[in-house]
Formats: sequence, structure tokens, C-alpha cells
Amino acid sequence: MSRWIKFFIVIALGLAAGLIYGWVISPVEYTNTTPDTLRADYRSDYVLMVAEVFHADQNVEQAARRLGMLGSEPPARIASQALDYARQANFPASDLALLQSLTAALQTWQPASGGVSP
Amino acid sequence: MSAEHEPRRGSWYLLTGLLIGLALGLLMAWVVAPVEYVDTAPASLRPDFKDQYRSMIASAYLVTGDLGRAQSRLSLLGDVDPLQVLTLQAQSALAAGDPDGSAYALSRLADALKQFPVGTQSPTSLPQTPELVASLTPSPAGSATLTSTRRPTSLLTPIYTPTPRPTRTPTPTVGAAFVLVSQENVCDVNLSEGLLQVEIQDAAGQPIPGAEIIISWEDGEEHVFTGLKPELGNGYADFVMELNVGYSIQLASGSQLVTNLSAPPCQTDGGDSYRGGIRLLFQQP
Repeated sequence: MSRWIKFFIVIALGLAAGLIYGWVISPVEYTNTTPDTLRADYRSDYVLMVAEVFHADQNVEQAARRLGMLGSEPPARIASQALDYARQANFPASDLALLQSLTAALQTWQPASGGVSP
Repeated sequence: MSAEHEPRRGSWYLLTGLLIGLALGLLMAWVVAPVEYVDTAPASLRPDFKDQYRSMIASAYLVTGDLGRAQSRLSLLGDVDPLQVLTLQAQSALAAGDPDGSAYALSRLADALKQFPVGTQSPTSLPQTPELVASLTPSPAGSATLTSTRRPTSLLTPIYTPTPRPTRTPTPTVGAAFVLVSQENVCDVNLSEGLLQVEIQDAAGQPIPGAEIIISWEDGEEHVFTGLKPELGNGYADFVMELNVGYSIQLASGSQLVTNLSAPPCQTDGGDSYRGGIRLLFQQP
């Protein structure tokens, strides 16, 4: 076997070892992530928290502001996605009702005027 | 001579190839195509987002009274001592003027955790699939109802299923009247002169942090908050009274107005005069 072939074989071995080390043994650690990267169940639980508070204070503007932490998508879409997940994951009916109420309120909320359209 | 160098050249080029391969692999794994975290857990959030998440947990607890659910959610943040973190965040919020109004909720949750610490409850193993956990939640009418609560799956930290509280934690509402339970003059040379000490408790005798107290006198007014000196109690606040000035005091959330408060004259053992203090205790009926 020529030296060049051996040379490329050990490069391939080194590459494989480097990838295993970098992807499996010591992957890049994200310690300061943003909420938009949260997994769907955590996002849904956060939206549920917002819905619980909204159920008590009926402050749709504050609810929208709180949902803004989850990303730049419209709050109604964030709530709707959480509701979809909650349905798929068989959340209790009481939680679904809270999420539905929040989603409905956000869908009719007009952020420009700060009020709720008819 | 060239034959003598053959073995050494062989081992060096193999080692060089291995190192080049390793470097390429690490470059690819860490820089070009690193592991992408798209499904992160709350524990990995940036500290300021963790604070927001924690505030949301506390706000939700305040309206639902569901301590079990709040504890499960707090465990997602991976705090070593959730109680201490909650207390510190509440103090920081108060010190910053409580811009988002979260200090009270954080303090209430911290107080609830003190009464039902996580360590006193048995941890359960991590659910790998969606799991329904029974818990008690207060109904709008105030009575307890048994409902099912969904927990996030595959958590990084253990979920605790504490014994749920059957009733909602009493919370003061705007206009709820606190009453003056006790008032006493204090002559203690170890205290600051003219120290007005105020302690605020709920109906269960638990200290209420973050309560606003309005202290007024003839040509001035000052607002102080309980909980800024946690070493003296979460429901404690104080104020230094000047000589020969009469003060009135009332809680911003509603209480009777206490008037004609002034520093009482006291004497040391040696006969020297100094301004004493007053200690007030307000409590919800």
C-alpha cells in the first residue's frame, strides 16, 4: 500500500474521530439559549401559564406581550400552535379550554389599536 | 543512510495525517456543522429569560394556587435552590421598583415553597411519554376539585409530585382591610433611634413581602416596602422617625389609618435620653 493511501486513510480516521468527539462526546453546549428554541411541550406549557393568568385578569395585551418571549411570530399563532400541540398530547379539558380562550382572544386582538375588534 | 530514515518518515506522516483528520473533524463538528439545539429545555435558557420564565411560573401560581404544578415547572429551570433564587429575584424586582409587577407573585411562591419545601416530597422518575398527573386545583368558587395535569415530557431534571394543597393560598386584594393587631413602644439602645418597625402578615400569620406602606407626615410622604430586609423577615419594613414629628401610616392595599405616631422618649441605664421606636403589626382578619 502506498504511503499516500495510508496517509489519506489516517486522515479519514482522524476526521471520524474528530466528528465523534465533537458531535457525541463533547458537542457544542448551548447554555444561553433563547425561548424560541424551546421544545414544543415546554413552549406549550409556557403558553398554558400565560393562559392561566389571562383567564384571571383578561388582559390580552399583557398576554400578547408575555407570548412575545417565545419569538417574533404573532402571539395568536404561538397560542394556536400550543393549542394544536395540547390537543395532540391530550392535555386535560380544563387546560385546553384555557388555551382556546387565549387563542380566541388573541385572534381578535388588534395590536395597533391595543383593543379587541368585534 | 536513506534506509535508516524510512521507519521515522513512515510514523511521522501517519501521525500528521491523523492530526489533520482530527482537526478537520473538529472544525466540522464545532464550527461548520455543529450540533443544532432546536428542542431545548428551560434549564438552558439565558439567565434573563429564565427570570421571565420564573416570573411567569409565579404569576400562574398566584392565580391557580396549584403549588404542585408550580414546583414541577420550577424544576425545569434546573435551579439548585429554587427557593433562594425566587427570593433573590423578588428582592431584585423590588429594588428595581418592580417594573413588571412580578415581585409579589415571586414572593408568594417563595413563601409557599417554604411551607411545602420540595425536599419533603418524594421525587418520581422522569416520564418519557406524556403522563397525566393528578393534582388538586381550586375551582373559581374556591372549592378544591381533582383534575388531571399534563407535564412536559422527557425533562432534564426530576419531576416532583408534591402533596397538593387543597385550598388556594389567601392573597390580599386591593381594598382588603388589614387591621392593626399590636402597637408598642420600643426602648432598645441597640436599634436606630426613632425606628418605626412594621410587620405585615396574612390571615394565616405568614409574612407578606412586597407590601407597600405609606408613611406620611405634615409636609411629606414616603412609601416603603416589606421584604427588603429578608434577614428580619419577609413581611418586615422600617422607617426612621425624626424628633417631634407626628406620622401617619397606612397600607397601600388597604388598612386602617394609624395616626399620631411619634418617637417615644427613652432613657439609657445611665440616664441619657434618646428617641425610642415603635413596632406595629398589621394582619389580615
